[in-house]
Amino acid sequence: MLYYARTEALRMLRNRRYIIFVVLFPVVFYLINANIYGNQTAEDGVRVAVYLMVSMAAYGALSASMMSSAVPWAQERQTGWLRQLQITPLPGWAIIVTKLGAAMLLVLPSLVLVFAVAVLQQGVTLPVSRWVPLLLALWLGTIPFIALGLAIGSLLAPDAAQPVAMICMFALALLGGLWFPVQVMGGTIRAIAELTPSYRYADLGWNIVAGNGLPLTDVLVVAGWAVVLGAAATFAYRRATVRA
Amino acid sequence: MDAIVFDQVSKDYGEVLAVDDLSLTIEPGRTVALLGPNGAGKSTSINMLLGLLKPTSGTISVHGRTPDQAVAAGAMGAMLQSGELIPELTVKELIDLIRRLYPQPLDLAEIVKLADLGDLVKRRANKLSGGQAQRVRFALAIAGAPKILLLDEPTAAMDVESRLRFWESMRDYAAGGRTVLFATHYLEEADEHSDRVIVIAKGKVVADGTAAEIKAGVGGHTVRFAIGEQPAAGLDRLPGVTAVEIVAGTAALRTSDTDATLNALYRATSLEVRDLTLTGADLEDAFLALTREP
Repeated sequence: MLYYARTEALRMLRNRRYIIFVVLFPVVFYLINANIYGNQTAEDGVRVAVYLMVSMAAYGALSASMMSSAVPWAQERQTGWLRQLQITPLPGWAIIVTKLGAAMLLVLPSLVLVFAVAVLQQGVTLPVSRWVPLLLALWLGTIPFIALGLAIGSLLAPDAAQPVAMICMFALALLGGLWFPVQVMGGTIRAIAELTPSYRYADLGWNIVAGNGLPLTDVLVVAGWAVVLGAAATFAYRRATVRA
Repeated sequence: MDAIVFDQVSKDYGEVLAVDDLSLTIEPGRTVALLGPNGAGKSTSINMLLGLLKPTSGTISVHGRTPDQAVAAGAMGAMLQSGELIPELTVKELIDLIRRLYPQPLDLAEIVKLADLGDLVKRRANKLSGGQAQRVRFALAIAGAPKILLLDEPTAAMDVESRLRFWESMRDYAAGGRTVLFATHYLEEADEHSDRVIVIAKGKVVADGTAAEIKAGVGGHTVRFAIGEQPAAGLDRLPGVTAVEIVAGTAALRTSDTDATLNALYRATSLEVRDLTLTGADLEDAFLALTREP
């Protein structure tokens, strides 16, 4: 199973689309934005370059979560690769758990690269006591997005999964305030944004870098979404692999 | 203990009855062809044998276990129809991935040799030709050293030479005392590469035996001649004739007694018989006779 997870990760690293969208975009967006706004200081005295680092890392992790789950999984179902695995001794639950594990591995390059660029190019510094929780929160917080991607991949054919996953990803990024702060949004949209897993997920990171610790509401909302979307993914997986 | 047992197995997809009260037994170590036209229930039977589909009624056992248990124990390997590979992985990575999921797999080198993949191991799956991809899929099917190998129309995408090489590989694998069941609608394949042929049509077994036995069971010879526009009435009452078919001005009489039929054809009818040929039954005739719509 470890070898399976390793192979899954390797395979995505060779996928050009994954590399461009997931690894390059967040870094490039960060460089552009940080070089324009980075030296401003937010109301609470934190440099914007630091907040942007969290936003772009969160965006990268969000897109990695969705890109490495929905479409590859839909393709494997359609092309018969899933059946190839189903006739090996690998149990059915292990297939979906491995997918989750591999997707989580694939989130790490986006996070680490954006952090690295922030440190090297913008001179961002944080105490270790903030780096470690930041990485962990932004890493574990991707579970709801991966679950969403797997649910999409289980329910839809590849042709449909591709646009649906893209729309979900952009909607979550936009509503979650990963590109523009939610503060600039109108009241209603902002109220909706605060219910999304993506806003709460990024908010974990923003609070950590500001030294506010972990807001309980954010943790609960992200965990709640993880449970709901995890259940949806499990249900969809069962439906997709049902042995009629 | 028998390798494969179907006991009164039926499978319907709503209105369509794909497999109809199918019972058959296959002993270990045999290479068996499941021969039938498209839609005969071959793929459905194989998918049920792998636990990918559940029978509507009846039971299937594999070495005394359920299909799911047999799969979990690593006893099954299969080449199913239309299975694609992961494009970004190399041949070696694909084989290694699958073989590591089995408890007692074959060595990588042995798989590469059996599947004839020598110079392809480092190639990515998306750079393989159709025939090469089929060989990789065969490699994946045998990677876990399964006791039972199922092949669902394995040569469908292959050219003639690839086919020959493929059947050699299959024979090498079967030689280790393993059971092989392959589905095909090619008669020659069933005839040449199996030691038993099970003919199915409309989800039922219609013949079962060696290719030679099946030919003999249908029996007799076929007399063909150009009948043109002449009336065909009465041909079916000639001595020995078991079936008459008229296609494009040619009459084909299946007969169990060639001498009597020919004698009567010339003496007891007023037909002008031209271009007469006489052929013994081949497996193709047998197959057509067995699977013909009633």
